[in-house]
Amino acid sequence: MTKSKMIFHQTLIIATAILFGIGIQNLLEYVNRGDEQIVCQWYLPLSIILTSFLCSLPTLLLMEGEEAGRKRMIGRIVLHFFTIYLTVSACGYLFRWYTDWQEYLPIAVMIVLIYGFVWAAMCWIAKKDEKKINEALKDIQDQE
Amino acid sequence: MKVNIRQIESVQEEHADLYVAEITEPIQNAVELLENNCISIPCTDGMETVMCRTTSIYYVESVDKHTYVYTKELCYETKYRLYELEEILNTNFFRCSKAMIVNIRKIKKVKADLNSRMRAELLNGEQIVISRSYVKELKRKLGI
Repeated sequence: MTKSKMIFHQTLIIATAILFGIGIQNLLEYVNRGDEQIVCQWYLPLSIILTSFLCSLPTLLLMEGEEAGRKRMIGRIVLHFFTIYLTVSACGYLFRWYTDWQEYLPIAVMIVLIYGFVWAAMCWIAKKDEKKINEALKDIQDQE
Repeated sequence: MKVNIRQIESVQEEHADLYVAEITEPIQNAVELLENNCISIPCTDGMETVMCRTTSIYYVESVDKHTYVYTKELCYETKYRLYELEEILNTNFFRCSKAMIVNIRKIKKVKADLNSRMRAELLNGEQIVISRSYVKELKRKLGI
């Protein structure tokens, strides 16, 4: 996959995840307060797209270090997480998604949960692939 | 042995089915010839030139513009470049990273690793890394 195609896909996936997070947040507000209408800024959709795009860029870090050793890869993943965390926090502050610590806390939790969920999903898919590949290898392996 | 040949129109549909009571060395040689179009690759072992059978190759690695061919216990150097060997060694071989081609039949098992890459254990106990972008090619070769 070319880098630009990868960034486009990542932007869409991250935007979907952010919208899902906002949806859950609004649902909780509706359940707690019973408000049927929630007011948001006019630039919210654009801010989500821009934030998603900026969050997709650190993925290049992981792509460039694809053949790095295990420790370096773990370091890159940690750096990737903190880059995304800071990007979302900074964009949230700029676009006024939160105004105080109380409003920031659910966003911080959401970032960690979404990041963790995406990695868990990737691990699950990788384990499935591992099983399929090992089954297929048994049929063609040399006997030594 | 009776041999039947049927001419077809499409090169992509070419295949051979062998009905044998026992897999003897001549039959194994015939299979190698059909699968790889080339049984041996000229390599150097220090001073001597040796012909390395493709069936004994575990993997080929390119380091500092030198190409090394690894068998179960030995390592040779070849004048071929990696991209040239990629064309010569088809069917059972695939590129698993920027600088390595591996023989699928020598892979004992794979294990999912960080960042969707795979760690492959070969039949001689060696471990190699299959980069994320090349896992798809392995699955394609295995028909998954």
